Amino acid sequence: MAAEAAFDLIEEERAPVLALRGDWTVDTIAGLESALREIGQKLVPGAAVDVSALGRMDVAGAYLIDRTFRESPVGDSERIAIRGQHQNAKQLLATARKALGEPAEAPERWHGLKGFLERVGRIMAAIGEEIVETIGFFGETMVVLGRVLANPRRLRWTSIVHVAESAGLNALPIVALLSFFIGLVVAYLGARILQDFGATVFVVELVTVSMLREFGVVITAVILAGRTNSAFTAEIGAMKMRQEVDAMRVIGIDPMEALVVPRMLAMLAMTPILTFAAMMAGMFGGMLVSWAALGVSPAMFIARISEVVPAQHFWVGFVKAPAFALVLATIGCKQGLSVGGDVGSLGTRVTSSVVQAIFMVILLDALFALWFLEMDW
Amino acid sequence: MSPESQQDIAIRVRGLVTRFGRQTVHDGLDLDVRRGEILGVVGPSGCGKSVLLREIVGLDPPTEGNIGFPYHEAQGREPRMGVMFQDGALFSNLTVLENVEAPLREHTQLSPELRSEIAGLKLAMAGLGSDAHYKRPAQISGGMRKRAAVARALALDPELLFLDEPTAGLDPISAENFDRMIQDLAHSLGLTVFLVTHDLDTLHAICDRVAVLYKGKVAALGAIADIAADAEGWVKDYFSGPRGRAAGRAAGG
Repeated sequence: MAAEAAFDLIEEERAPVLALRGDWTVDTIAGLESALREIGQKLVPGAAVDVSALGRMDVAGAYLIDRTFRESPVGDSERIAIRGQHQNAKQLLATARKALGEPAEAPERWHGLKGFLERVGRIMAAIGEEIVETIGFFGETMVVLGRVLANPRRLRWTSIVHVAESAGLNALPIVALLSFFIGLVVAYLGARILQDFGATVFVVELVTVSMLREFGVVITAVILAGRTNSAFTAEIGAMKMRQEVDAMRVIGIDPMEALVVPRMLAMLAMTPILTFAAMMAGMFGGMLVSWAALGVSPAMFIARISEVVPAQHFWVGFVKAPAFALVLATIGCKQGLSVGGDVGSLGTRVTSSVVQAIFMVILLDALFALWFLEMDW
Repeated sequence: MSPESQQDIAIRVRGLVTRFGRQTVHDGLDLDVRRGEILGVVGPSGCGKSVLLREIVGLDPPTEGNIGFPYHEAQGREPRMGVMFQDGALFSNLTVLENVEAPLREHTQLSPELRSEIAGLKLAMAGLGSDAHYKRPAQISGGMRKRAAVARALALDPELLFLDEPTAGLDPISAENFDRMIQDLAHSLGLTVFLVTHDLDTLHAICDRVAVLYKGKVAALGAIADIAADAEGWVKDYFSGPRGRAAGRAAGG
């Protein structure tokens, strides 16, 4: 059990003596700091420290005594005079004195308005750089993709199929389930509002048109942004951190070809499939609500679809799927390859990968919507 | 071993068995580390040196066997341990100074001012000047990272210091300085050092005793000169190969 640290200041004729008692270790010295400060000024040149009653001591304890003497009128010009015998006090006091260096200046940080402006400026510049880099990366990917497609023997089928399974097929249940719920909600809300106009039968159009044109593809893309983009960035980023990407380059394997192209192609293949599943699941949800709440039988529901919903609505939604796939895979892989050497950058890159992907999906969707409406499709 | 020296055993490992699936790493391993010595642990790659270290410090549980600290248990307390991992394992989101402060912040009630002064002192003892204090681990060289890692291991003034390949990846001059620093620290602070290494120069220069792990057991234990003198099999190859002889000559001459 550690004995509590304590000290007595014994006034002697020539100079005071600091008599130490108990254990002076990193655990016990916390309470002594202020008391030592107070008596510090009483230590005059010639003062000594008495260690005969001292228990255990460590570097922290020795440092505290050393500091007390250094800051007192005794100064740091000479060694501390030691009285009494102790197993290691003399050595530790010498170590503490010897190893002491000049304290470092903390790096200057701007606070207040200046700091705020500096931060804003840095962030804006970083966003600008990020946009340029991402567009550049997209171009590079397209070139490599073209080169690989022109010479299909270079395709890495194993990794394409692997990514298609883990990023695409395994996402099928969650994508279908979530669109099913959205379909339910849209139909239910629509039924409530359209009831007031006695136009409940238009629920069929409401559900199918919204699912086909917008919800199916956007839900799929947002789920993939959260699920697949984070995985792409983390996988490639961890490989970058452990220098696996550098090793590939040195061996002569192009990371763009080995890491980016398979992910790109797998996403291009799987996003439309998932989108189709999402559309179907959403419409199925709407059909169940119509049946339960409005008494529209599934047969009527399907018949009305083929009567009043032209196939162009399906195509308007469906063509967005490959575009979103390209955007998602580009952002995920680009952020992964931008990971630096430390853990912190992996975290930031995964975050920005997901945020950028969702942002781009919704922005692109808005542009598509404008364009398709203007074209009257 | 005489009975009174039993008191002076800092780490006692008895009948240690470690299995990973069907692979047996340690097979009834016994080892005593004396208080205040620098023990070098060597052995072929994959013989379980680092696993032994992890088991002693309590990161991994052994499959069977006992690990005890007789000297400290006789005083009714747990030994204070400091560990330096192979790549330093510094927290990358903290500065070097904050890394050394981290254990102090967690386990003591020192004032922030005294805490950072003690952390700076530990860094200075490990040979890092104040210009490195506010850098992040990613911004300093590998050798400096190792020094910072030792400073963090020393932050709470441990009695047992565990070093996993401290000189791996250092240039010969840095490695030699590092060895000397470990030796100085061990002697001035009275540390017991458990040192896993492949560096024959380190073994010759600073280790009081060497334990050779081979096929799950301690194949040889003693001062390096004694081991090398009557070694056989793998141990002989290890110490009498060209590298072993060169390191022996360098230390002897």
